[in-house]
Amino acid sequence: MSTTRRRVRLASAAVTVVTLLVAALAACSSGSGSSAKNISLRMTVWSNDKSQNALFNSIAASYRQSHPEISSITFDYIPIDNYTTALTTQIAGSNPPDLAWILERDAPDFVSSGALTDLTPTLKGTSGYGYDDLAASATKLWEQNGKLFAYPFSTSPFGMFFNKDLLAKAGVSQTPEQLLAAHQWTWPNAIKIAAQVAAKTAKQGLVIRDWNYKTWIQLASVWRAWGAQAWSADEAWGAQAWSADGKTCQFDSPQMQQAMSFLHSAIFTDKALPGPGETADFFAGESALTVTQISRASLLAKHPFNWGIVPLPSGPAGSSQVIGQAGIGVMTKGQHKQQAADFLAYFTNSANSAKLAQYFPPARKSQLTTTTLAKANPLFTAQQLQSVVIDGITTGSVLPSHQNSAKLSTLVQNALDPLWTPNANVDSVLKGVCQAIDPVLKQ
Amino acid sequence: MTVTPSQTRTPPRPAAAAARGGRRQYWTTRRRDVLSGWLFVLPQTLGFLAFVLYPLAAVVYYSFHTSNLLSGVTTYSGTKNYTQLAHDPAVPSVVRATALFCVGLVVFNIALALVLALLLNQKLRGTTVFRTLFFSPVVISLVAWTITWNFLLQNNGGINSLLRVIGVHGPNWLRGHDSALISVVIVQVFKNVGLNMVLFLAALQGVPRSLLEAADIDGAGPWRRFRSVILPLISPTTLLTTIVTISGSLQVFAQIQILTEGGPNNSTNVLVYFFYQQAFGNHDFGYGSAVAVVLFLIILVLTSIQWRLRKRWVFYES
Amino acid sequence: MSPETLTAPAELAVTGRSANAPAPAGRWKKPLLYLVMLVLAVPFVFPTWWMITSSLLPENEVLSYPPKLFPTHPQWSNYRAAFANYPLAHQYFNSLYIAAVVTVGTMVFASLSGYAFARIPFPGGQKLFLLILTGLLIPSEVTIIPLFKLVDRLGLTDTHWPLIVIPILGAPSVLGTFVMRQFFLTVPDELEDAGRIDGLGRFGLYFRVALPLARPALAAVAIFTFLNSWNMYLEPLVYETDKRNFTLPVALTQYTDAYGAHLWNIQLAASVTTVVPVLIVFIVAQRHFVEGLAQAGLKG
Repeated sequence: MSTTRRRVRLASAAVTVVTLLVAALAACSSGSGSSAKNISLRMTVWSNDKSQNALFNSIAASYRQSHPEISSITFDYIPIDNYTTALTTQIAGSNPPDLAWILERDAPDFVSSGALTDLTPTLKGTSGYGYDDLAASATKLWEQNGKLFAYPFSTSPFGMFFNKDLLAKAGVSQTPEQLLAAHQWTWPNAIKIAAQVAAKTAKQGLVIRDWNYKTWIQLASVWRAWGAQAWSADEAWGAQAWSADGKTCQFDSPQMQQAMSFLHSAIFTDKALPGPGETADFFAGESALTVTQISRASLLAKHPFNWGIVPLPSGPAGSSQVIGQAGIGVMTKGQHKQQAADFLAYFTNSANSAKLAQYFPPARKSQLTTTTLAKANPLFTAQQLQSVVIDGITTGSVLPSHQNSAKLSTLVQNALDPLWTPNANVDSVLKGVCQAIDPVLKQ
Repeated sequence: MTVTPSQTRTPPRPAAAAARGGRRQYWTTRRRDVLSGWLFVLPQTLGFLAFVLYPLAAVVYYSFHTSNLLSGVTTYSGTKNYTQLAHDPAVPSVVRATALFCVGLVVFNIALALVLALLLNQKLRGTTVFRTLFFSPVVISLVAWTITWNFLLQNNGGINSLLRVIGVHGPNWLRGHDSALISVVIVQVFKNVGLNMVLFLAALQGVPRSLLEAADIDGAGPWRRFRSVILPLISPTTLLTTIVTISGSLQVFAQIQILTEGGPNNSTNVLVYFFYQQAFGNHDFGYGSAVAVVLFLIILVLTSIQWRLRKRWVFYES
Repeated sequence: MSPETLTAPAELAVTGRSANAPAPAGRWKKPLLYLVMLVLAVPFVFPTWWMITSSLLPENEVLSYPPKLFPTHPQWSNYRAAFANYPLAHQYFNSLYIAAVVTVGTMVFASLSGYAFARIPFPGGQKLFLLILTGLLIPSEVTIIPLFKLVDRLGLTDTHWPLIVIPILGAPSVLGTFVMRQFFLTVPDELEDAGRIDGLGRFGLYFRVALPLARPALAAVAIFTFLNSWNMYLEPLVYETDKRNFTLPVALTQYTDAYGAHLWNIQLAASVTTVVPVLIVFIVAQRHFVEGLAQAGLKG
């Protein structure tokens, strides 16, 4: 009898446990799921901007009207400083997104890995798409053997925004625009202005946005003006950070040493930039100048002050425009590759490309005119659009990229850390960078 | 129901006797015990096999392979990951960071916990309030605590602002080579010292008053009493807390990621963070697995060393 | 940690006063002690204070100098923003129910196993216990890669299954098993013998005799299991991708603006909402917390 009672008790315990687990299963939510008729697509993005998201959702909504088999299209936000890691983890797992934004610095890894599907058949096969409208310079990074693996939806040049109110407050005599007109818009002059504002007001001078003493790749906007490279050139001159075949480190070149010494004294001697760990947001009015991509202009609506934008200053090697790119790829591991590719074709067709142009300068040659861009970017004057955006895209070169970008990124960041102290020895630090990354470059 | 003497917890009868009995139940106490014993531990045993033993073996297996997460290809690579680990230029910094962090944290934590326990052990009113205060960070969400300290330790954050008010120029806590390590140790110690404090407090209260009074009569001052009476008597607790704190210090991850991301220049790149960097940051599961194996071996070795040494410095263990 | 019980007083009372400490002598000793404790309390309390006050500051005052120790115009909208633009409420629920299920589950299975290891003589029991104890030495980071692959193969990434089942049955539960075993070892044999005479089988002995006695040990297991699950960071970071599946620790780190800069005041507001309820529960029930943990520590 006690045996039966015991067995009953054991059984009821087991049932309790199972119920608990089932309850847990019922309560937890799950990721994507679709049947043939009820397809849902997911695109990972690094933008949290409300107006950008509204635009994406409206494009998605109109696509779904003509494609009822797609039940939902979601845009998944992943913060940018963790973006590539999180995306790679998703791809490694069984729950990859259908589409994903990709940073230019990671393009070589993604394009060559087979993680992205070939978009060329779909794009060329979509009627009215206008595949030949895409600028070769924009698609270069995202192609392999003539096949396009990610669409460069954003080709965003870097420019220097400046806060006219702050400059006036600090008594700066010549604004960047005036200096530009007088062919005096150089880095030393820019730093002078920044130092003056930092000294005379409670605000910071120049902020290289998104750098934060960590994401060193943003410094390409500075060193290119010295003709320095991190490793290789793929275009004219001073294009990238490593040698032509990508196998030699160029951080210890004389040009890079000059560029970094300049930057170092600008930070620690002139106090023109905020020091390590100090944060200042230009778009909140906390600094006089900022180097960033023009797509950030949407932030200006929040804190209106008088502002202007000019191309990056010139250095000893002349003026150098730098571009950041972002591509959208379709994951090979996704469950609905073709539907995702079709949606991508729609998302980036001529009409939608013009809409997206207000945040993301397009890769389409026909749309790189001041009239088209002005319609999408009412904040900019025609002259700004021409000098910063159009000229930037046509003459500028993309941020450094390389295989094993994640590894290189951490190695360089760690090796550059000693540079951000007042008494750093620039030369030895840069040599240390090359020591650290040479083995990886040669792989 | 009558109970025969043989159904109590006595040594089991041999099966032959049962057969002799014939009518006796199949389910003797012994058999029931074996069944229920195994049934009771079955879930945990299965869980242990599936979630501890198997992954441990798998990690060793992966450490001998190279895998590319993007392309999904895994190839056998022998000891390549281990030789790479031996030659990785970041490893000396990682070892240094791990050792300093571990030692700094354990010494500071145990010492502070003991001091706090001694303070709370005094016959004062209101020590319950202080005990609550000292213990409160333990129940605060780890990430919330770390985020707050991250905020306070910014160069223009709360700590430096307050120092500036009294005219002191505080360092850039999270960006200085040594100050970053110190910061991380401090954040971690104040979070968890309450736990060790409570354990020490309980141990202190187990020290018989008579012994302390006898020592007092013999002329021992407070320090001597502490060293010769209290310390030996609480040594089991000291051992326990040291073991737990050491192995805990080797697993501190979230704080490092939120505060310093291993920087600046690997000065806070402890082994477990290095593991995350390699496995998930650089998408190198093979290399990360090699690091994980090394981490596990270190913990194993340290714990067994401490366990063996316990005979030396733990008194009164029953 | 050996299976033997270490010496401990039979009665444990962790009160504010101590039975064996001498009364402080000298007029200065008392105020000095109070002063020292007050000073020491600052780094424990100050961060929580700063967290709460800064969460009520507007964005431009958050890193201002001179520092604002008290908000002049409390900005409650930060709290609204913390919930409005992020699925914080849902993530809160996730953390809560996961921690609850894990706690209950661990209490059930750890007490079952602990009882068996302590009181049921079955072959291989001792050896198995020692083997399982090694689970205490294994940090979650060491096993996360294979577990991730396993969970992935089962198609369970981005669900809560790995956050529930693995802590209940895997390495994190070993401590619970250990504590329960140590406790059950101290149950007097006579009680069980009496139970047998009443006709109870093993499960009855466990459920009716041993378990009701185990309240302090169960409380201790519940507390540290709950805290452990509540604080899990690496696992949700690795297993979950959809934001709505996040738990609080990972969710709290997502408060960045469109381009990655910290939104300190909103982030701190979210942090406060995770901290205050647990803190209140703790302050009300702190005696049980502390006593339970002390018991567990001494018996280990």
